[in-house]
Amino acid sequence: MFSFVVKRVGFLKDLPLFAIIFDSLMRFWMFLTKPELLDWIDDLEENVTQMPETTIGIHKYGGIGFNYMGKEFAHVHSNGLLDVLLNTELKNSLMTEGKIKDHHVFKNSGWISFYLQNKQDLDYACILLDKAYDRAKQKHNSIQLDAI
Amino acid sequence: MSLNKNLSKVLNSKILQGILIANIFAFLIIGIQSSLAPKDTGILVFSEFVIIPMLMGIITAWFWKDMAIRGKQITGYSILNGLIAILISFFFLGEGFICLLIVSPLIFGFIISGAFIGRAMFKKRNQKLNISIVSLLLGIFIVDSLSDHHHENMVSDELLIQASPEEVWQHVVAFDPISQKENYWLFKIGMPSPMATTVSEHKLGANRKCIFSNGYIFDEKIVKFDINKNLIFDIVDQPKDPEIMGHIDIKRGEFILKDNGNGTTTLIGNSWYNLHVFPTWYYDLWAESITRNVHFRVMQHIKLLSER
Repeated sequence: MFSFVVKRVGFLKDLPLFAIIFDSLMRFWMFLTKPELLDWIDDLEENVTQMPETTIGIHKYGGIGFNYMGKEFAHVHSNGLLDVLLNTELKNSLMTEGKIKDHHVFKNSGWISFYLQNKQDLDYACILLDKAYDRAKQKHNSIQLDAI
Repeated sequence: MSLNKNLSKVLNSKILQGILIANIFAFLIIGIQSSLAPKDTGILVFSEFVIIPMLMGIITAWFWKDMAIRGKQITGYSILNGLIAILISFFFLGEGFICLLIVSPLIFGFIISGAFIGRAMFKKRNQKLNISIVSLLLGIFIVDSLSDHHHENMVSDELLIQASPEEVWQHVVAFDPISQKENYWLFKIGMPSPMATTVSEHKLGANRKCIFSNGYIFDEKIVKFDINKNLIFDIVDQPKDPEIMGHIDIKRGEFILKDNGNGTTTLIGNSWYNLHVFPTWYYDLWAESITRNVHFRVMQHIKLLSER
């Protein structure tokens, strides 16, 4: 359903609120059919909250956005699809493990997608978030150094 | 004593306060809006299904902002918030079950979104931003409520019948009761479906009646009677029903019989209606689907009778 909507009516994502409402309806559906998934998403959120200088907000294309110093480094949609920003090198090395996929829209980018399907996936999702957080932090620090 | 204690505990609960205030706010706003705009009775504007639920979500988020409340709980309580709003609409606004079923995705979608948007807003602790967002939403609501709303649409369907136009015409003007089982899910759960059509005379100006499964009758008048070719009828009176029929006015219906020259006929059914609920990008999907299924139920029946 999610892939169908992204593929067929993905152009509507730029309409104000469209993606957010769609994600809320997925959240509603998941609450009724797979409530434990919402627990895992909450666990991810708590994990990110403990990382210094992070904030959590609404993602413009629906879901929860994770930011470091105001810059997004990951987001999770309410169907359990976690999108994480890595660099190409890191992405390629993780791809060999077979757990992650190219980002469901931006295939040729540093973004990757990972589906939370069971509780065990939560550990791997946290590892991905740690890596993305470290990358975002390093990038921010290097920009700061360049500015000096 | 313990009952009083429990009651006061429940009433002091921020969760409940948020839900109660959100619902009171919603129904106050809708009450004020409908009392200020009596000329538009029956019209439900898009803000009632979009802005109000979103504000309801934001209100709950304000009450819950200092609580350690997880996303799953926000979702659950928002669903409860929406269910209460739907139940109030059922008991106090006289809306029907199917109508509320149709409206519920909008209500739940916007209430949940409002709650999460509110959570993000109140985390920032930026009062100017919060006031701006809420004022903008209220502004949209006021402008939308004061605007004129009119939406007319036409739905057209066609069906190939293995019979001549003369044969098909016999069953177009009026037909015996439909005995086929309903196959459209909304008809199956209780939405009235067409059952039979009677006509006072087979001529221009005659009265036609379309009888629905729950006994509802649409009174129609034949305004074009081109034998074996074209039948147009205006709907002169339709039942006011708490279900979708109270929110849609069917204006006119038409059957066109196209002779294919090989013993078959293409039957075209057209219906024109005015929609009284907005946003049309959402409700017109339903109205088209329902009209289409009314067409097909009648046209399949005509096909069955004609090919017999």
